[in-house]
Amino acid sequence: MPIELLVQALLNGFGVAVVYILVALGLTLIFSILEVINFAHGEFYMLGGFAAYYLFAVGGLNYVVTLVLAVLLVGLAGVVAERLVFRHLWGRTLNAFIVSLGLLWVLQATAQLSFGVLDKSVPSAVSGIVRVGVVVVSRERLFVILTAVALIVGLQLFLTFTRTAQAMRAVPQDADAAALQGVNIELVSALGFGIGCALAGAAGALLAPIFAVSPTMGALPVVKAFIIIIVGGMGSLPGAVLGGLLLGAVEGVGTLFMSSAAVNILGFLMVIAILLLRPRGLLGAA
Amino acid sequence: MRMHRSIATLAILALAATLAGGAAVQAEDKTLAIGLLGPLSGGAASYGVELLRGAELRVEEINKTGLKVGADTYRIKLVSYDHKAQAADTATATNKLIFQDKVKYIIGNAVGATCNAAQTITEPNKVMFSFVCWGTNNLAPEKPYSFRSMLSQWELAEPFYRWVKENHPKIKRVAAISPNDTSGKDTNTAVVKALKALGFEVAADEYYERGTKDFYPVLTKILAQKPDMIDVAAAPPGEAGLILKQAMELGFKGAKGWTAGINPFTIISVAGPEAAEGVWSPANINVKGDHVSAAVRKFGETYEKRYGEVPGAIAVANYAAFDVFTQAMQKAGSVDTDKVLAVLTKEQFQTVWGPLALGGKETYGIDRQFLYPLVISEVRQGKVVDIAQVLPAALKKK
Repeated sequence: MPIELLVQALLNGFGVAVVYILVALGLTLIFSILEVINFAHGEFYMLGGFAAYYLFAVGGLNYVVTLVLAVLLVGLAGVVAERLVFRHLWGRTLNAFIVSLGLLWVLQATAQLSFGVLDKSVPSAVSGIVRVGVVVVSRERLFVILTAVALIVGLQLFLTFTRTAQAMRAVPQDADAAALQGVNIELVSALGFGIGCALAGAAGALLAPIFAVSPTMGALPVVKAFIIIIVGGMGSLPGAVLGGLLLGAVEGVGTLFMSSAAVNILGFLMVIAILLLRPRGLLGAA
Repeated sequence: MRMHRSIATLAILALAATLAGGAAVQAEDKTLAIGLLGPLSGGAASYGVELLRGAELRVEEINKTGLKVGADTYRIKLVSYDHKAQAADTATATNKLIFQDKVKYIIGNAVGATCNAAQTITEPNKVMFSFVCWGTNNLAPEKPYSFRSMLSQWELAEPFYRWVKENHPKIKRVAAISPNDTSGKDTNTAVVKALKALGFEVAADEYYERGTKDFYPVLTKILAQKPDMIDVAAAPPGEAGLILKQAMELGFKGAKGWTAGINPFTIISVAGPEAAEGVWSPANINVKGDHVSAAVRKFGETYEKRYGEVPGAIAVANYAAFDVFTQAMQKAGSVDTDKVLAVLTKEQFQTVWGPLALGGKETYGIDRQFLYPLVISEVRQGKVVDIAQVLPAALKKK
């Protein structure tokens, strides 16, 4: 097989995986703070897509401004969801899980009623391609990849160096002790949920011009995100990055050798293998 | 006082007359429930929405005067269900239509696997079922109550690629890509068969899962085979648009076809004018084009005014299907499905497509395929332009 074909396949896989990593990071952040497995997370990705559609495609705003607004709006939606729903389910993981399934259907049906059922196209914000030898990537995808990487790095810096993030890490370890140290548990919870949803919103807004938007667009990314965090380790941010890159590589290269249906199975085979051999994931805590 | 009494008397008489008149109309008119299935949400929703809109417009027209069948006049009641392109949901919806809503006609359905699911219920119950599904096995001698109201890949691929060969002789290698399901497999099979018969090389015969948004991986594989032309054969408009857009991003500059392409206007909106430029589509109908009848143009205007979108071939096909079945009922003088079936297979019908006949025995073993002339269109600078009209081989013989 020509090496350039392999490089192109890897680039294809990483290009989308890096955005799914954003979704997975949001999911794992929410889980690590609130212990909520949020099945409705894909719907926040969908809201990000529609925010891009209405602000950029319909409203004519600048794309970068659109991205910022989409992140803020979806983050705010996440805070609202936390305050109205998930806050009342602290410590009841199974209940929260079932409620998140309900929220998924509510948000999806509301989107179908509000935005219509048909795919909506978002025009390209960046045009042209970059060619290195025979390897090709569109400038639009390059922009998406670089923005997603910047967001991942930014999140890691935030979680490593800020006192707010220290509080976020302290809450799941011992909420009472954290509260005694002056940590505002409710604020940390809302902030964590909001940031998690904002990351999904950013992913949706980034991919909107590439994939178009629809009320059901959140289904695939959330499945990918679950694969990523199970492989990488639930609650581990470096694990999510590693899991995403692995999934991207396997799916990108796998397509060269097998049908798309078979490639879709590969991710789930990874999940089964990890759960059998290393249930805590590659970088998850024991 | 007397005047007041007179007015009151007149008012009572007028009211009585109105009530009596209304009762007379109600007594005369019967209701004929006709079912419609389709994906009205999800990735294939555009198909279902067009089916429904085409049906709605024809039903409204018929109901203005009522449908006169023999001595009876019927008002049509359209009953529709969303099956989300899922076979299980289709079976549930078909059961509802037949046993709860008591329909004897289901005019409209799309997506091959759902047609198979519906047919397991419609055929034993002798319910007439017309659809735009492209699965080859959807028409068969053991399915006498099933009809395809739109030309399928088997009627389209051969004349389309014959036209490509005659008009673009430099095209030698063609890659076909379709969804990985019944419709997709059948379409690619028909395309590959036509390509081989006409002496083309098949550069790729690829499939993807419905709902896919990222086509870079599969396109990388296809483009490595250096095709002169990519046929997004059975891809629905949204996915076909993404494939063409992403193929352009990966540097593809060859010819583009869409054998099952039913609405190039949608593909332009998804792919953008640049990526959609030059797409040939033999399954489309351009309601504003030069090759269509005045009836189609009028239908297109009404549809666009009502729904704010230009109708594609599915909307026209279902509009025409309602025409064919209701004309057959009138000719049979009955709504009994066996009597209507006898008329359908013998007669020709005047529809928005023009003269329409049932054929397809050579391909399916039974004449249940609607046959009408096909128009090849091309996307030019964001517009859809008709460039040729050709006849399906089976219609030539009629």
